[in-house]
Amino acid sequence: MRWTLRGGLSVHAADLPAPSGPVPVQITEEAGLTATWDEDFRVEALVAEGDRVAQGAPVLRSRRYPEIVVTAPMAARVAKIGLNAGRRLSRIVFYGESDAGRHEFDTNVAKRLDDSAAVRLALQQSGLWRHFRSRPFGQEPRPDESPMAIVVMARDTRPAAPDPRLALAGRESEFERGLRALLTLGDGPVYVCQAGAADLVDAKGFDARLRIVRNGGRHPWGLAGFQIHQIHPAAPGKPVWDLHAEDVAGIGAYLETGLVPETRLISVTGSALRQQRHVRCQPGADLRGLSHGFVKPGRHTILSGSALDGHEARWLGLRHRQATVISGDAGGQRRHWFLSALRGASRPLPIIPTAALDHAMGGALPAAAFLRALSAGDTETAVKLGALSFLAEDMALVDYVTGAEPRFSEVLSAVLERIEQEEIG
Amino acid sequence: MIRGLWDRETVALMVLAAMLPLAAMWLQVEGVDAAFKLVFFLVFAGIWHLLFMLVRAQPPSFAGAVTALAIAILAPEELGVVHLLLGVSFGVVMAELVFGGWGRNVLNPATVTLAFLGFGFPAAPWPDLIAQIGWAAIPAALIGLLTGVFAGRVMVGALAVFGIAHLMGVDLSGVYPAIAVVFVLLVLDPVTSAATRTGRLLYGALFAALVVLFLIEWHGAAPIQISAAAALLASLAAPLLDEIAIASWLAQRRRHLG
Repeated sequence: MRWTLRGGLSVHAADLPAPSGPVPVQITEEAGLTATWDEDFRVEALVAEGDRVAQGAPVLRSRRYPEIVVTAPMAARVAKIGLNAGRRLSRIVFYGESDAGRHEFDTNVAKRLDDSAAVRLALQQSGLWRHFRSRPFGQEPRPDESPMAIVVMARDTRPAAPDPRLALAGRESEFERGLRALLTLGDGPVYVCQAGAADLVDAKGFDARLRIVRNGGRHPWGLAGFQIHQIHPAAPGKPVWDLHAEDVAGIGAYLETGLVPETRLISVTGSALRQQRHVRCQPGADLRGLSHGFVKPGRHTILSGSALDGHEARWLGLRHRQATVISGDAGGQRRHWFLSALRGASRPLPIIPTAALDHAMGGALPAAAFLRALSAGDTETAVKLGALSFLAEDMALVDYVTGAEPRFSEVLSAVLERIEQEEIG
Repeated sequence: MIRGLWDRETVALMVLAAMLPLAAMWLQVEGVDAAFKLVFFLVFAGIWHLLFMLVRAQPPSFAGAVTALAIAILAPEELGVVHLLLGVSFGVVMAELVFGGWGRNVLNPATVTLAFLGFGFPAAPWPDLIAQIGWAAIPAALIGLLTGVFAGRVMVGALAVFGIAHLMGVDLSGVYPAIAVVFVLLVLDPVTSAATRTGRLLYGALFAALVVLFLIEWHGAAPIQISAAAALLASLAAPLLDEIAIASWLAQRRRHLG
């Protein structure tokens, strides 16, 4: 793959020294899996409140695609299953009970990697399928969907994100097995996006569909959206999946042992912390538990995700690898009523094409034209320039840099939703 | 969740900061009269901004000060107060405020004012800028470049064409200050210049090519008049240049991705 130096920015979220030394494992007392209303994840509960569940045991099943399940993040007792209207999942909360054991799946057939259907089924029944994200539109892929390409993100440029190399250290064989499993899922290429000179895997041992990509510079080039935009744009009917390299290693480990991975590497950081640290915690970990004892006195807000694209949350999000604790309330400073009225009256705020704007889009596309098309609702131009490869998280840096109102992440989500409805209708 | 700095007013302040060396040099050379002229335009542009804030709820912008400075430096001399007021009002209102304020305008208000005054009162003599003011445009351009509000590609495009013209024997020495000042004050304006990579190169080159063309073909025109006319035509062409750049980017991308 052609190596190109492109734009991008370094964002400093907090002036804390980078953590070093061994990474502790911390399983918080409570854990919660959540879904938003927009995700429209309709489920059927396989356990009742008060049941003891082993780590990795199925707890929820999708009503739309019964093959897809959600598994327990830790050995626990089910504390609360919160469903909204239409049995949409709002949250399921667990209280840890360390003696409940681990659930073991039978992966003897899938392990051989010669039967695509068996690999799919094994991933779906263990809940690992949920790590995939399909673009355009960014949903979890349908059980029978065949990707045109899979992008494995082995780099992460969000401010203070944990280095995927650290997550993969010592797990090379699991990572390789995971990649082989990904190659069975579709006919298209599997791209490993990485930074640094040393290859994460030796591509010679794989078939030619595995490609190592070293694209771009600083943030936002460590986001899957920009890599997909650059190497294999997504389009309706031509889905491109992305997932994190650590999850690929997790898939490899799962296929070998039948055990769903227990932890993922995350960084706990932010301006309200005394110390930045890395921990391995369970999916859906309690963010208050992770930051407890490290927070400076005073008001603070805990975000799941980075300081740029995170949102206020109690539990670690599905694909998030960062917890950010920022000082004060997450709504920004108060303005005088007259100024906020003026600002409100001139929404959407104009976009001034400066170097800051170009870098915030990584130099990947004509930034001003793209953002103007988005805020004017010109879907056609936005799609032509590559909107379908992006998701809300990819616009977080532009929102940060320009202080845009309304946020481009929200505008892009709305545009994508409209396109999706047109596609279906 | 955290918010950065580069909203419209930050950009406007950076543009203003870039203009400071130019403004200081101009005030030093021209003296008290110039200061009065600047204050006059500042107040008047400010009044229009305030009116539009009260009536149309448009936030005023520091970019109004840049407009006032540009008009004060470049406007024809020996015009009456009424003439100047007409020109400034036409530029500030029709080129900027009716579009929704700075950031949404298509043409630079100062460029439009100069065009209005130039066409409306052709007998008025254009000011003669001395060399020091021309040199002060260089630090101005550099500050803008370093803060990222001015596009380096526009400068490269213009310098390339001027360089070629110089090699071909076009004499630029006498008109240099006017070209440099107009380039910094009007052409580099981030809102009305082209916004794509290739578009910016073309835009700078187009401005320079027009200036050279007018120098050769437009007899009897003052250097500022030539530069301002070239700036007006170039910024009218900027959206077209952006379209060309986007079309070529799309074609390249299609070829690259197969």
